[in-house]
Amino acid sequence: MAEEPLEADNAAGTVPPLDPDDAEQFETDGISPQASSGGPVVIRDRYLVDSASPMPELDSPSARAFRAEDRRELGRQLFGLICTPDLPVRVDTMQFLKTDAPLGLVHFVDWDVAFWPPLGQNTMIVVYEQPLGGRVMDRLARKDVRITEYDVPRQIAEPLLGPLQHLATHDAPHRAIRAENIFFLDEEMSEIGFGEHVTSPPGFTQPIAYETLERAMCRPDARGLGTSAEDIFAFGVAIGMMILGHNPVAKIKDEDQIIARLQHGSYNAIFGDTRVPLPLLEPLRGMMNDDAAERWDFTAISNWLTGQRNPTIKKMAVSRADTPFTFRGKDYRNPRILSLQFVNHISEAARTIKDDSFAAWLKRGFGDAAKESAVKGVVQNAQFHKDGFQGTDDYLVSKVATILDPAAPIRYKGFNFMPDGYGTMVALEAVRNNNTAIAAEILTHDIPAVWLALQEPSYPGTSDLNLTFAKLKSFLAIKDPGYGIERLLYESCQSLPCQSPILDKKYVMAIEHLLPALDAASNLADTQQSPLDRHMTAFVAARFSEDIHPHLKALASAKEETSLVGMLSLLAFLQWKLRQPAMLGLSSWVGGLLGPSINSYHNRITRRDIEKDIPGLVRKGSLPELFELVDNAERRQEDRDGYAEAQIDWLAAEEEIIDIEGAGDERLTKAERAGQQAAAMISIVMTMTAVTVLLLIEAW
Amino acid sequence: MARAAQRAPGNTAGRIGNWIWAVSILVVLFLISAPTVIIAALGMLPTTVAYLVDRGEEKFATFCVGGLNVCGVFPYLLQVWFDDHSISMALDIISDVFALVVMYAAAGFGWALFISIPPVISAFLNVIAQHRVQFLRATQKDIVDEWGQSVTDQPDAPEIEFDHEPQPSGQSDG
Repeated sequence: MAEEPLEADNAAGTVPPLDPDDAEQFETDGISPQASSGGPVVIRDRYLVDSASPMPELDSPSARAFRAEDRRELGRQLFGLICTPDLPVRVDTMQFLKTDAPLGLVHFVDWDVAFWPPLGQNTMIVVYEQPLGGRVMDRLARKDVRITEYDVPRQIAEPLLGPLQHLATHDAPHRAIRAENIFFLDEEMSEIGFGEHVTSPPGFTQPIAYETLERAMCRPDARGLGTSAEDIFAFGVAIGMMILGHNPVAKIKDEDQIIARLQHGSYNAIFGDTRVPLPLLEPLRGMMNDDAAERWDFTAISNWLTGQRNPTIKKMAVSRADTPFTFRGKDYRNPRILSLQFVNHISEAARTIKDDSFAAWLKRGFGDAAKESAVKGVVQNAQFHKDGFQGTDDYLVSKVATILDPAAPIRYKGFNFMPDGYGTMVALEAVRNNNTAIAAEILTHDIPAVWLALQEPSYPGTSDLNLTFAKLKSFLAIKDPGYGIERLLYESCQSLPCQSPILDKKYVMAIEHLLPALDAASNLADTQQSPLDRHMTAFVAARFSEDIHPHLKALASAKEETSLVGMLSLLAFLQWKLRQPAMLGLSSWVGGLLGPSINSYHNRITRRDIEKDIPGLVRKGSLPELFELVDNAERRQEDRDGYAEAQIDWLAAEEEIIDIEGAGDERLTKAERAGQQAAAMISIVMTMTAVTVLLLIEAW
Repeated sequence: MARAAQRAPGNTAGRIGNWIWAVSILVVLFLISAPTVIIAALGMLPTTVAYLVDRGEEKFATFCVGGLNVCGVFPYLLQVWFDDHSISMALDIISDVFALVVMYAAAGFGWALFISIPPVISAFLNVIAQHRVQFLRATQKDIVDEWGQSVTDQPDAPEIEFDHEPQPSGQSDG
């Protein structure tokens, strides 16, 4: 039985349907018929994943499972998870798991991007060893196994604590811990382990009951990586649900569940109406404590497992006002719930906040003069900047909501996110809704910085987060290629594939795959357009470790020829640095666009020579050589010098012509004078000759 | 005006000085060789006229007429110097029409030279100039053919500046 989302409106279940029409469509788009016809797919030249053998019982909410085999070790029982193409995956975690996977996880084998025929496009394929015992919850439901509250420490908690600690030491929390994602790894059901957690962003597929209160309030794609504290909370919930055999809050709406958790605490809201066995009461309360500082850590869990006593769990005090505040006809005493209502009803909340009665309630009814003063300051600031963004209702309500409930996520214009979830949120919003305006506004208005400044005590990693958001904001402010909103996407979400329309369905996630994908795309792309669009340039800028600023500067030039040279130089630099093979299609594409760059040479003989040499280099598929031909520094210098010299020569000739033709009467006068001079000279010479001859005759 | 007025007396004084020198030299020459002075004075009259009518600073007409005038006078001077150095001989010569014709014809030939040579030289120089212009035009056309029409624009536009080049493939980056 496939794992189903526990709640109907959860973000899980994102695997696209297998629509036979899709394959037809992709075939017409130029993908080979062989690929579109289905069949096995080989990754890493080793693992064969068969699209004809689905394994729905191993499906994830974000990935479908298919039988796989290891061609070098045929006895291994593997399965491949086909990820949802538009959903960022956890590549950094996969890299870590491939080299250092702990016991107590379904064994991670390998991963790669490959063409998946049923989807008609490339996507991420992750190969795992099959958990032969199946899902624990299924086995419990079928009564194949029985786990009592007394078995929990030894059979569940102890074997699963190790992998959690191992992940925590690598700062790679699991973030997909739920009862349905725990498996028996062997047929004898003696080994237990967590299921996959790499095919979706952290916490994305989690029902909100498994998320800490703050992260449960976020959008699914914006819950962020968090820490092991989030895993421990989810572990506590998973243990409770395994013992109960069901999710007691499955039918409660998310918003109602959050309000209940804010009102009564998470443990009470989720398990309050159930009969949790007494031995598990303290562990569950400890692991599900809403106060992260008071929540059990690995030491406390170990103490429980070894029978040692833990400090008494302090119940998190729920702040309540003495007198209620009425908003939209309902009375509120809890400021956290009130802030939740505020962000859900912006315009009414803004009117309420601007009314003096709200500040008065904070002081008298709630007895918090600091909050009252802070809210008054925000209101005054909004009035002072009424024409700026600080004066907008959204900004005002967001800031006041944070003052009322600092622990809640950043909430602005319906975007509820934790700071470490911003990247995946922007990525999903851009990919699925093509909407990046609000995400950009969040940065330009410094919303995260405002939120971080209001945290008391400071949010962990505040200075790093401020630096990160400032850096993203600076990228956003530059409109040149390689920057802007596109750069923001790739910088904030490291596993987002390149979204360039030219690379549609290629799933280019690593910089090494960019040029081969572009080379393949050259057959179908409009070769009158530049192969490097804004998305691709930003992708390179974010993923390529070398300094490419000079290339970006040239690419951003308003002069077409300079921009083309910048494009060619960047592609050539990539091919050279990444030591990639010949790119015949891409060379041909780029070669066809170089006219303006060639024409930037003044010397027409040089132009003809370059044009003559291009076809040969295109056939070699070498972009560096093409660049060397088109923008050879020595040749450019010679051209510049020659041109300057030619200008001087032309001008000198012109001046001489003007001198000759334009002289007019002056020239005639000069000629006459020269004639007169010549006549005088002839006369003198004749005289001297005659006198000499006569003297000689006389002397003889 | 004032400066011109100041300079005018000086020029006049200089001119008077020149005349005094000339007369002095003539008197001295007359005392040394009176026949020579008589023949030269009368025979060189065309040159004197040419000097008076020649407005040019370089006095090309005077040189031209004077030169050939000397050619016409010189044989008679030789006759006086070497045959009979007497005033009567000088008077015989200058009263001989043929001798005067020879002297003045020679001067006239000088005038003819002065009038006829400048147009010839001018035409010759004009032809040379036309050839030069044709050559320069051809050179300009070659320059434009090789470098494009923009070469005639002044000044030169800035060129592509690109200071980061990838190395040719196959080279090591290390």
